[in-house]
Amino acid sequence: MQLDILLEAFSKVLLNPVNFFFVFIGVTAGIIVGALPGLTATMGVALLIPFTYRLEPVQGLIMLVGLFCGGIYGGSISAILIGIPGTPSAAATILDGYEMGKKGLAGKAIGMATLASFFGGTFGALIMTFCSPQLAKIALKFGPPEFFALAFFGLGIIITISGKSILKGLISGIFGLMITMIGYDPLSGCPRLTFGSTELLGGITFIPALIGLFGYSQVFQGIEKILVLPTVKSELKHIIPKLNEIKSVFKTMVKSALIGTFIGAVPGTGCDIAAFVSYGEARRSSKNPEKFGTGILEGVAAPEAGNNGATGGAMIPMLTLGVPGDAVTAVLMGALTIHGFQPGPLLIKDHPGVVYPIFAGMILAQFVMLGVGLGGMRFFARIINIDRRIMTPIIFFLCVVGSYAMRFSFFDVGVSLIIGVIAYFMNYYGFPGSPILLALILGPMVEQNLRRSLIISHGNPSIFITRPISAAFIIIGIFVMITSYYRIKKAMEKEEKRISVERK
Amino acid sequence: MKKADIGVGIGLLFLCIWIFWYVGRYRPVEVYFYGPDFFPRVLSVVMMILGLALILNALAGNSLKKTETIDPRGFIRMLISIGICIGYLFLMKILGFASATFIFLFILMSFLKQRGIIIRILSSLITSIVVWTIFKYFLIIPLPEGVFF
Repeated sequence: MQLDILLEAFSKVLLNPVNFFFVFIGVTAGIIVGALPGLTATMGVALLIPFTYRLEPVQGLIMLVGLFCGGIYGGSISAILIGIPGTPSAAATILDGYEMGKKGLAGKAIGMATLASFFGGTFGALIMTFCSPQLAKIALKFGPPEFFALAFFGLGIIITISGKSILKGLISGIFGLMITMIGYDPLSGCPRLTFGSTELLGGITFIPALIGLFGYSQVFQGIEKILVLPTVKSELKHIIPKLNEIKSVFKTMVKSALIGTFIGAVPGTGCDIAAFVSYGEARRSSKNPEKFGTGILEGVAAPEAGNNGATGGAMIPMLTLGVPGDAVTAVLMGALTIHGFQPGPLLIKDHPGVVYPIFAGMILAQFVMLGVGLGGMRFFARIINIDRRIMTPIIFFLCVVGSYAMRFSFFDVGVSLIIGVIAYFMNYYGFPGSPILLALILGPMVEQNLRRSLIISHGNPSIFITRPISAAFIIIGIFVMITSYYRIKKAMEKEEKRISVERK
Repeated sequence: MKKADIGVGIGLLFLCIWIFWYVGRYRPVEVYFYGPDFFPRVLSVVMMILGLALILNALAGNSLKKTETIDPRGFIRMLISIGICIGYLFLMKILGFASATFIFLFILMSFLKQRGIIIRILSSLITSIVVWTIFKYFLIIPLPEGVFF
């Protein structure tokens, strides 16, 4: 690692008040987005990207990273206060956090969630800072077959993020790959599936597609259900946990941060799985496992340290291999591309002036998150109480602005609206949106490297298994797909059993 | 979801057959075999297999049970809100970004039955002015300008 560049980046980010300001804005926006049920960190990052177009790349990117960290933490606020996870990654926090809230200890639970998130996030960010350059050095040896194998491995994640039906997840993924076919073919320059439209020559632009998938679709669902959903009010008393309480959960926080970072670094897992695994492990290794679920601090600290640890972990494969760790990092990967940087092995080597400040920005974001989280808790609790009838139109408007601002194009707004309507129906019929996002990111990488490899090998597909790194990625990809398949199958069987028991 | 799965599966089969045929026109004559038509055709074939699997899965009774249904009134509300949005896009070109945004937000909030005219006016006004200011003066991103601003 180039320590001098790292130190320079830290001084550049930490000592510059402008950078601090953007991290502050990102973290605060993230906490608000995360705390509002129905809004995810993915959507938040997607909506913030248009605001970064004219900023210095480093400033824009650290603001987005701040939103990512804040968003994952913010989910715990609504989970504890109203029993609804603001983001999926806070679902495990409900188990003990909401129970504490019911006992009148919501403030203490949020205080612990903030400290654990800070600890986990800082741990994950440090691991990211020191591991990413080493991994990128190995990845520099990659050629087209290795990149194809890597993208294949990345697409294998589709099975993991397919939800209840792997088949439907795969259909969504292939649909996403088909969308990437629209526009100029990058290898031959031939326009494909444009039907004579000049606007489609450049393809379906990433940001409008993203806002359609995760912005409009959620807005449409919100509008559909707006008059039937009950309004939930939140309350908040007592905030900071005592020192002996922090000491009692410290071991759990360390273990959960480690688990979270490791899980986050495995593409396709994400913060929600990290939170549940950390919670499960804390419960398994506890002297009093029966107390979990009744409202104890350990049950809040474990998932929060885990899911925030996963934020740093998820950044590692995105920055070094060009394979996003989860949906949010897929969006961040798109943001890097928009700012002119191609995530992958060459990113750290070619653009250390951008990557190292991102590392520094992520660490700074944890400290800002701690300050903003503890200081602004009552404000965030109030935000949760804002009526959906006000918030939904505002988010609708931000979707319009976000899809317009990329190319100042009303055509993009139209494309985004259409994708939003498709995503709305897909959601009802069990087709997940995340595989489309992954396919939009990895599609060009898959196609170009597949075709280049086959041209190099004169059409012999054995090129992918005769080169060791490529073969390793393909084997790991198949292994991940098979294990994910059985994991989902097992989870579905468990769910069916639970439903049938409830019906009896 | 049996009917929906069968419908989607049939739709996918037709779509992919059409794409497979349509991309044939991109086939290069001499350059190389793996031309612009190669990958779309591979994807079409994979999608056809998946579409067929979806149909067979549904016929075998393995479709997932619906957990949520579309509320017809809510669906109409959603369609009307899309209509309001399209109107907003046209209005933006005539009136300008900030004023059209204010009208859009106010109408949508009123349509969604937000109580209190003062709250509706203030939240619409503040949102439109704040975002307009950020884009115009801070980010220097050109926004549609009409009769007003």
